[in-house]
Amino acid sequence: MMAAIYAILLIAFVLDLLGRGRLAACCLFLSFIICVWLFLWEIYSPEYGFRMPWLQVELGPIFAPLRSV
Amino acid sequence: MRGTKNTGGRIAVVFDRISLLGMLLILAAILTAAMIMQYGFGEIPCPLCLLQRFAMFGCCFGLIVQLRSATSEQGTGISLIFAILLLVISARQTLLDLFPRPGHEYIGSAIFGIHMPVWSVLIAVALLLGLATRLALFGGRSYSVMGDGLLTRRLVRGLIIYVVLLCAINFISVIIQCGAGECHTFGYRLLR
Repeated sequence: MMAAIYAILLIAFVLDLLGRGRLAACCLFLSFIICVWLFLWEIYSPEYGFRMPWLQVELGPIFAPLRSV
Repeated sequence: MRGTKNTGGRIAVVFDRISLLGMLLILAAILTAAMIMQYGFGEIPCPLCLLQRFAMFGCCFGLIVQLRSATSEQGTGISLIFAILLLVISARQTLLDLFPRPGHEYIGSAIFGIHMPVWSVLIAVALLLGLATRLALFGGRSYSVMGDGLLTRRLVRGLIIYVVLLCAINFISVIIQCGAGECHTFGYRLLR
């Protein structure tokens, strides 16, 4: 899939060089869509989904006295 | 009075062109450095690193469009979209590797004590700031690109061809590393 993204990007650059601006923009948009899809696929974990449980952002013990007030 | 206004306008146009050219030059240098790190120092890029390179190429595409057409801001819009994409991907990778654990630590060596995804966050923020500042200072100004000197036109043309060549090299590199399937950092799929 990564190869497809770079192939379409290269085609977009070449089309732009040849003066086919609109077609080049379409290719770039297509590669952008595939890139977003691949990014979501890469970061998705069957265990955590899109969450990042290693980042703990709950209130720590330092704030416990404030919470009790 | 009109002469002073024209001179001011010309200076603004020159600064506008320099800012676009500067951003494209810096991005081309970063992408060249990435290739040197990959093949000179054996640091195989991860899939998210390759997607960040793609986002940088997208920014280059926008800047090239903007350098060619001075009557619309379409190129700046394209660059802004890809700068945001770069920021999202690099911020996610930074958060992914923030706490080193088995299978998740920063890939590659640190440059000036900062790892690649964190550099990418800084690059994306710098790009967003640069493009926004350019729009704030010179946005909506239409002028003729034909007014550029011969040297500037040759420089722009040379830089565009260099970026396209870099893109072609990256494409071949991705084919060698990933083939038609998933990308890994263990080695080059086609060289096993």
